[in-house]
Amino acid sequence: MKPDVSKLLEIVASKLLFEIAPNVQPSYRRSSVGLTGMLLGMVREEFERACARRVEENGVLRALFARAAKSVADTDLRRRLDSAAAGAEGSLLVSDLDKSNDALRALSIDLHAHVEEQDAPWARAVDAEIWRELVASTERRRFALAPF
Amino acid sequence: MQELAERIAAYAAHRMPQATDVAASHVDRIHGGASRETYRFRLRHREAGREVERRLILRRDPPGSLIETDRAAEFAAYRAFHGSAVPVPEALWLESDSRWLDHPFFVMEELVGFEASPQAILAPPYLQHHERLAREKWSILGAIAAADPEKLGLAGALEVIDPADAWRRELDHWTAVIDEDELAPQPIARAAIRRLRRAPPPPPRRLHVVHGDFRTGNFLYDAEGAIRGILDWEMAHLGDPVEDLAWSLNRVWCWGRDERVGGLTTKQNAIRIWEQASGLRADPEALRWWELFSSVKGLAIWISGGHEYQEGTNKDPVLAFSSIWLTNAQDRAALEAMGKLS
Repeated sequence: MKPDVSKLLEIVASKLLFEIAPNVQPSYRRSSVGLTGMLLGMVREEFERACARRVEENGVLRALFARAAKSVADTDLRRRLDSAAAGAEGSLLVSDLDKSNDALRALSIDLHAHVEEQDAPWARAVDAEIWRELVASTERRRFALAPF
Repeated sequence: MQELAERIAAYAAHRMPQATDVAASHVDRIHGGASRETYRFRLRHREAGREVERRLILRRDPPGSLIETDRAAEFAAYRAFHGSAVPVPEALWLESDSRWLDHPFFVMEELVGFEASPQAILAPPYLQHHERLAREKWSILGAIAAADPEKLGLAGALEVIDPADAWRRELDHWTAVIDEDELAPQPIARAAIRRLRRAPPPPPRRLHVVHGDFRTGNFLYDAEGAIRGILDWEMAHLGDPVEDLAWSLNRVWCWGRDERVGGLTTKQNAIRIWEQASGLRADPEALRWWELFSSVKGLAIWISGGHEYQEGTNKDPVLAFSSIWLTNAQDRAALEAMGKLS
């Protein structure tokens, strides 16, 4: 698609924020137009990284599950970890990557809760690995506009 | 807006049978708290031979919002603090009958000529008054904490619970919001919730009034640095006063994108002012718990707004914007509160 999506969204967002919004009445609509411009700015950021960050994150989680499964004694959880670790992306559509990501993140919650209950070095190691991934996943989703 | 003006006037005439020539004009929707539709308007009428004009605010329940709250509790809180050291607009009418304006609503006084924006406070002429704004902000929060709910008449309007259950009631409520509204798994929120349940905070000695959303952006201030009105009491409840303090310190309200809480002052100074004004001590253990809880509550609100938007029950872009903009920032705040950010 040309012009580039990124450039197009940058221009549209800028027009909404700086040309259109200031001339809109009443104030509620002006504010809504301004917010829409800012939303498009975030959509622009997300569009650029959408596929990359999902593929990266899904891969990190699968690898983490593969390592954790070797130590998890709970048979049901181990089976789910093994199954998820053996998975791969069937499609690079963002909606499909999101489905995979949702399933993997849900499993990571179960694994995290499980290792928190275990008093063993392997559990502490997995716990630390999960936290590192949670910090990394937050950075992957960060927006330039972030207040913090 | 003409039809809404006429319906507002009809309702006002109903509430003021002694008045004649009741008319509403200048109806203008404003962004005033994302939980209700907010309109400013002017109400004119004749009474005892003289013409009266008041500038008022209408807060109407929307089909969907960032948070689902009890308008009666909000109205009661405005009523309770009116005329006290906690500046609030006068609350006039509370109406639950949807026949007047399609949804329940309440009407209150408009405090005119003041600023509320958390961005404007970072620039002149307000920038030079941050010391006073901080002093007033956390002194008022301290006054809310020091207030006696019984004497204010709020013990009947707000749910009375065992102080020892204050943390559980709030955590259960906001966890349920995440359970119902999450559009995707929330591993950071879930880890935070587990941590909070494992180590509850020390309970308050008694129940206090908790504003529930006390932050820069929810009060009106003037160009001399005075705070003229505390708004957005829609999450008011009885509970632990440290909850309010922690919420006011939430990292996502660091509008200056630096360490200043609420864009105004250091965290230590805010706590010191609050302790002085409230006569209470911000127990470090309790504060740590409620700070992490603030991130869970924040996440619940941003997630809920995103859910409303995606479901199409409320297409206000502020819901989508807040959800996208703040969910990630709130995750970072939760990670920081759990000591996971280097």
